[in-house]
Amino acid sequence: MNKKIVIEPMARVEGHGGIEVVIEDNQVKDVTVDIFEGPRLIEQVTVGKTPDEAVSITSRICAICYISHRFADIRAHERALKIKPGEKTKLLRKLAHYGEMIESHSLHYYLLALPDFLGYPDAITMTGRFPEEVAGGLELKKFGNRVMEIVGGRRIHGENMRIGGFGKLPSEEDLEWIKEKALMLIPTIERGINLWKELEIPDYLEEETIFVSVLPEDGTFGFVADTIVVSTGEKYDAEEYEKVTNERVVPHSFAKRCRYKGKPYTVGALARLINIGDRLDGMAGEYFRKLYNDRWKRNPFYNNIAQAIEILYCLEKIPSLVDKIKSTPYKEAKSGKDSGEGTGLVEAPRGLLIHHYKIEKGLVKYANYIAPTTQNLDDMEKYIRNAAEKLLEKKIQDMELPLEMIMRAYDPCISCSVHMVKIIRK
Amino acid sequence: MKPKIGIYGLTGCAGDQLNILNCEDELLKLFDIFEIKSFVMASRAADESVELDVAFVEGSVSTAKDLEDLLAIRKKSKILVAIGHCAIYGGVQAMFMGKEEWIERYQKVYGKQDAVTLTAPLEPKPLSAYVKVDAALPGCPIEKEPFLKLAGMLIHGVVPKNPDYPVCAECRWKENECLLLKGEICLGPLTNSGCGAICPSHNTGCIGCWGPIAEENYAAEIKLLIDKGYDLDAVIKRFSIFGGTERAEKLRKFLEKEGRK
Repeated sequence: MNKKIVIEPMARVEGHGGIEVVIEDNQVKDVTVDIFEGPRLIEQVTVGKTPDEAVSITSRICAICYISHRFADIRAHERALKIKPGEKTKLLRKLAHYGEMIESHSLHYYLLALPDFLGYPDAITMTGRFPEEVAGGLELKKFGNRVMEIVGGRRIHGENMRIGGFGKLPSEEDLEWIKEKALMLIPTIERGINLWKELEIPDYLEEETIFVSVLPEDGTFGFVADTIVVSTGEKYDAEEYEKVTNERVVPHSFAKRCRYKGKPYTVGALARLINIGDRLDGMAGEYFRKLYNDRWKRNPFYNNIAQAIEILYCLEKIPSLVDKIKSTPYKEAKSGKDSGEGTGLVEAPRGLLIHHYKIEKGLVKYANYIAPTTQNLDDMEKYIRNAAEKLLEKKIQDMELPLEMIMRAYDPCISCSVHMVKIIRK
Repeated sequence: MKPKIGIYGLTGCAGDQLNILNCEDELLKLFDIFEIKSFVMASRAADESVELDVAFVEGSVSTAKDLEDLLAIRKKSKILVAIGHCAIYGGVQAMFMGKEEWIERYQKVYGKQDAVTLTAPLEPKPLSAYVKVDAALPGCPIEKEPFLKLAGMLIHGVVPKNPDYPVCAECRWKENECLLLKGEICLGPLTNSGCGAICPSHNTGCIGCWGPIAEENYAAEIKLLIDKGYDLDAVIKRFSIFGGTERAEKLRKFLEKEGRK
C-alpha cells in the first residue's frame, strides 16, 4: 500500500504548520512537520537598533507569549549591559509572567487540546456537554489576560515592561483584585485537573526522550534562571546555550531545528515538571505527585496535564507575590555601560526561550533567538513517526486526528518557531 | 441568513486572531451571529469551498504560498478586511533597513537563498500590494472593541472608515503630559489612533505600532527631533520600525533629498 497522509493546515495551533507522512509498501517512509510560516528575519531587523527598540520588536515575534519574549529580551540586554533590576521590578515581571502562563495554558488546555480528547472539532461545539469546563477555561484565560494588561500594559504587545523597570506601576486596587481573583479560580482549575483523570491517554507513540528546562538557582520551582538543565543530568550556563540547541536549517521548514548531542529533545510544561517538578509545593505539588507516573517520560500527551498543574501553581503563588510587591519599594535600574554581550533565558509557556545579544556603543550588533517550538520539532516528528508505525500495524486507516493530536500536545507556536507564521498546503 | 465569514492568518505573530479569541465574553455570541466557515486557529472544522461575505486576513504576504492563499481568499470573498499592522503595512518584517537589502537579510539568517525549498520566500508586503482591500482595522495587534464595532457594522452592510486623527488626539483626551515636549521620541503625531494612547499613558513614547496615518507630516517631526538634539540616523530607524513599505519609500526619498543614502 502506498499512501501519503497530508494534514494541512494544522488546526488549533498558533500559526500554521502541517504534517506529511509518506507510507510505502505498508511502511512509514517519511515523516515531516512542515512549517509554511513565512520568514520574518527578526534576528536581522533588530541589528542596528537600540536595546529598547529591540525589546519592542522582539515582543512581536509571538502574540501569545509576548511577555516571555519581552522578558527574555530584557534579561539579555540587562546581562549584556550589567543592569541589576530592582526587587520590585523582578517581582512584577514574575507576576506578568504568571499571567501569561495562565492565559496561554488555559487557552491550550481547555480550548485547543481537550476538544480532541472529548471528541469535538472545537471548544464551541464542546460547550453543549461541557459548559462549565469551557466557561472555566475562558474565565482563567480572561484572568491571565487581565494580569498581563495590568502589569504589562496590554493583553498583547504591551510596552510597559522595560529594560531596568516599568513605565507605570499597577495600582494597589488592581493588585488586590488580582490576588482575590486568583484565590477564587483555584477550584476552577482543580475541576479541570480532575477531568484529566477520566481521560484515556493513548499509548501508541511511547518512547523515552530528553527533557530540557531552566534550573532556578535558589532551589525552587520556577520559570526564570541563568542555568539550563538536561534530564540526562548535565547543566549549562545561559551563555553555553548553543551546546544544547545546535540549530540547523532543514529544507521543509522556515523554522530551524535543534538537537542535543545529536538527539531530539522536548521543552515545555512536561519538561519542567520532569526536570524540577519535585520542587513543587502546595496543592500543585500534591496533584503532581498524585498524577505522575513513568509514562510521562515517554508520552507527550502528558504535556497537557502538566500545563494544568502549572496553572494551579501560578494561582497558588500569586497572593503572596502580590503582598510582597505591595511592600517592596520601587527603584529604576540604570546602566553606565553601552557595550557587552548577554544571553537571557526564561521559560515561555511552551518551553525554554533564549535571546542572545552583542551590543556595541548602544546599538545591537548581533542577535539570536531560539524559541521553544524550534526545539520541539524534531521530537514531534519522532513521536508522529512512532504513532504512524503503530497505527499502521494495528491496521487503523484513519490516523489523521491521532497524529494531529500529537503535534497539538506540544502546543506548537509556529509564529515563534519561524519568527513568522502561516500554513496550508497542496 | 447568517453572514458567512472566514478568519485567516498569513505571516505574522497571530496576535490579531488571538485578540479575536480574546473576546472571551463575546466569543460565543460572535460564533452565533456569524457562520464561521474558516478559523483554523480555533477550529478543525473549516470549509474552504464556499463563498464568503467577509474575510478577515491578518499577516503580511511573505511566501509564494501566502500569496496563493490570499488570491484564493480574495476571489471567494465579497468584502476583504485587512486586520492588523502586518496585513495593512507589512509589519516589522517589512521595515526599511536602508542599503541592507531583504535578500541579504534572508541569507544571513538561513545561510543561502535556497536553503528552504518548501515554498519561495518573498519580501514581506501588505495585502494591498497584491489585492483590493475593502476595509482595514489597524493595530499591533487589533483591539477587541474596534473589532467588535467593525463586525457589528459589517452585519448591516456598512463598510466603515477609520478615524483619521493621530494618537495625539487620544493622548490629549487623557490629559497626558506631551512626551515630545519633554524631549522623548514619541511617534504619536504620525500614528493611527485607536489604542487609547496606551504607551504615552504608561510614560513611554509611542513606537508607532498602529501604523502611519494617511497624511503624516513625517518631515516636520524629523526636523523637530533633530532640533531636540537627536541624530538623523536614530530618528530614521525609529520611524522605520512600524513604518511599513509605504513609509519606507518616503524615507528613502527624504534621505536622497538630504543627500544621504
